[in-house]
Amino acid sequence: MAQAASVKSVATRISTQADSKFQDAVAGWVFMAPAFLVIFVFLVLPMLAAVFFSLTNWNGIRPLFTGDGSFNAEAFEMVGLENYQRLLIEDGSRQQAFFTALKNTVYFVMGVVPVQTILALGLAVIVNQRWLKGKGFFRTAFYFPSISSSVVISLIFMFLFASNGIINQGIKAIFPSYENVTWLNDATGIIHALLGALGITRNTVGGWATTEVAGIPLWNWLSGPSVTMLMIMILNTWTTIGTMMVIFLSALQNIPGQVYEAATVDGASAGQTFRKITVPLLRPTTFFIITLGLIGTFQVFDQIYVISSGGPADTTLTIAYLVFRSGFDDQRMGLATATAIVLFIIIFIFTLIQRRITGGDKAI
Amino acid sequence: MRKSVLGVAVLALLLALSVSGLALAQETIQLAGWSSSDAENAALTAAVEAFEAANPSIDVELIFAPEFETFMQTGFASGDYPNVFYVDSFRLQDWASSGVLEPYGDQITDSEDIYEPLRNIFTYEDQLYCAPKDFSTLALVYNTDMFEAAGVEVPTTWEELGAAATALATEDVAGITTGIELPRFLPLLYQNGGSILAEDGSVSLNSPEAIQAVETFVGWYTAGVGRSPADLGAGWAGEAFGQGKAAMTIEGNWIIQYLLDQFPDTNWSVAELPAGPAGQATMAFTVCYGVAAAANNDNLEASIALADFLTGPEGAQLVAAGGFGPMPARASAADAWLTARGEEFAPFVAGGEYARPWSFPPGFGSFIDTFNTGLNEAIAGNMTAAEVIESAAEIAQEAIDDMS
Repeated sequence: MAQAASVKSVATRISTQADSKFQDAVAGWVFMAPAFLVIFVFLVLPMLAAVFFSLTNWNGIRPLFTGDGSFNAEAFEMVGLENYQRLLIEDGSRQQAFFTALKNTVYFVMGVVPVQTILALGLAVIVNQRWLKGKGFFRTAFYFPSISSSVVISLIFMFLFASNGIINQGIKAIFPSYENVTWLNDATGIIHALLGALGITRNTVGGWATTEVAGIPLWNWLSGPSVTMLMIMILNTWTTIGTMMVIFLSALQNIPGQVYEAATVDGASAGQTFRKITVPLLRPTTFFIITLGLIGTFQVFDQIYVISSGGPADTTLTIAYLVFRSGFDDQRMGLATATAIVLFIIIFIFTLIQRRITGGDKAI
Repeated sequence: MRKSVLGVAVLALLLALSVSGLALAQETIQLAGWSSSDAENAALTAAVEAFEAANPSIDVELIFAPEFETFMQTGFASGDYPNVFYVDSFRLQDWASSGVLEPYGDQITDSEDIYEPLRNIFTYEDQLYCAPKDFSTLALVYNTDMFEAAGVEVPTTWEELGAAATALATEDVAGITTGIELPRFLPLLYQNGGSILAEDGSVSLNSPEAIQAVETFVGWYTAGVGRSPADLGAGWAGEAFGQGKAAMTIEGNWIIQYLLDQFPDTNWSVAELPAGPAGQATMAFTVCYGVAAAANNDNLEASIALADFLTGPEGAQLVAAGGFGPMPARASAADAWLTARGEEFAPFVAGGEYARPWSFPPGFGSFIDTFNTGLNEAIAGNMTAAEVIESAAEIAQEAIDDMS
């Protein structure tokens, strides 16, 4: 009898334990449910939908659902990897457009990311100096472009860089022989322009220049960003520096003062302290900033939309803008989503490479 | 606590019932478009109110959507979009072929009265899909002071236009400015006897006539007598012209009100576009009131009634009397428009007789991009006229192959 009672109590104990574990689990899931739901609806679902539509020939117009809510089977056909094939492999206008966009985007990234990182670090170091008066003012001034609307800033830049705008007039006032540059509509690549100044043109470099790789002649691959793209690069650098400066600044203020004191006691010069202490200790932040910069620049869209719509002569057509153009101007939603997925893969690979180089994997 | 929850539930139920009760008695249809000038918006609102007064059981909700085409496209995708909406002639074939439009051509009041070129624009696979709201054509806009000062006559052929541009061009003033884009170039192509598509729908762009037309257009710019609006520091050709930086431009009806409002001191006039060897041609830009396809439209009859009211003889008179930039699509209202707007704008109306549609088969978006790029590249000296035509013809062929 006594034994039976004890068996029973053990059983009860076990079952209450199991119960409370189960209850914990339920409570856990319930608490996480809102976050899961939001992530699922706004992140996972759209991504899966994008992958799905990249395998179809949907034109973005045919209704997916009819009025009574039932699925419209005639909206699209599955075409497998055809969209990817046309973007990447098959000769034709799609491939040409994609690689033109890739070329422009890579020039954009290579120009903007290093410059904005170095300038942001420089500004952060300056506004972090103890001797600087009016720090608050400078921090606000440098940060201001980042919190303004990029559309408004783009419009202001269009006024500044108009062919009779302040920039051209200013340069003309200093150099009277300067001929107005049509910043907003000049398709000349700056590397081409530099080479041209040295007397090197398409016709003098030899036959390889006309060899086509991915539908684009080699000579055109080497164009560099066009003048209009350069202007958008300046704009983009200027607007993003502020945010990056603030991140660098907070990291700088996290470096303990003792480290610098010890260096000073050891007789390190200001330059040595910067190179041997500040830069290495900022490595995790630098990784973070370059990653942000890479993602932001690879996806550049709004300034292009406002200023140039991809022109002149497609020299400001970026991959993100191409996605929009194929999806909404060209009515090829399948192709547009395939482009977006390729863009995602490119960013992913670049981030991995960049992580290797800056040693971000060790720092985090 | 429990009581108040119950109270809320009962209230919600009552509300839902009353709303659905209202809906039974009253049909609501949505009318979507983009915002034009304040005066035009007010006129449309007034026309809609007149329709509501005549049809008390129908409520019209007017939506002016920014980024209109993106707004519509996302609506189409979900199958839930406005009952009546603007359709740009350029989009008609894309939208009609996707089955989002209900063709109501046979229910339009006196459709013969609508200009034939306009009816053709909105016809897809032998069905008239919708009735045009109004239209604009391209004409030659010129600065009368500059013409007088230089002693130049209004050009009637492209050679004369080239000569006039050369005579008018100075250090600071371009002889002519236009957007470097397909619609400004197409009249030259048509007037030279070229075409984009043959009768049977095959690509006929690659022809000596087309190459010659590109050479003429590009020639103005490479010779320096033509300059692009961006080059003149302006956002578009109308602005450059108004500022007195160009003696001529090729623009549509929308430039009228713009110049009157923004540049009242500039003296200008309008002429029909010069003619080419194959006669006269201009471009017509027009918008119709599309009606949502039956499958996605629960108020089909009311929708068609609204579209027909707005575009019918009465609606056309309203457009005409307003004297806005765009002209009424009905010949019967042309005189009323000229009276309201001014007889000097007759060249725009004349274009209605021989205008070609700004409209393409489905999937021709990248054709336009390629052509625009080609024209820019040719002016920059990176492409020849033949290469421009060849690359555009290739893309056109690709788009057609894609769709078949």
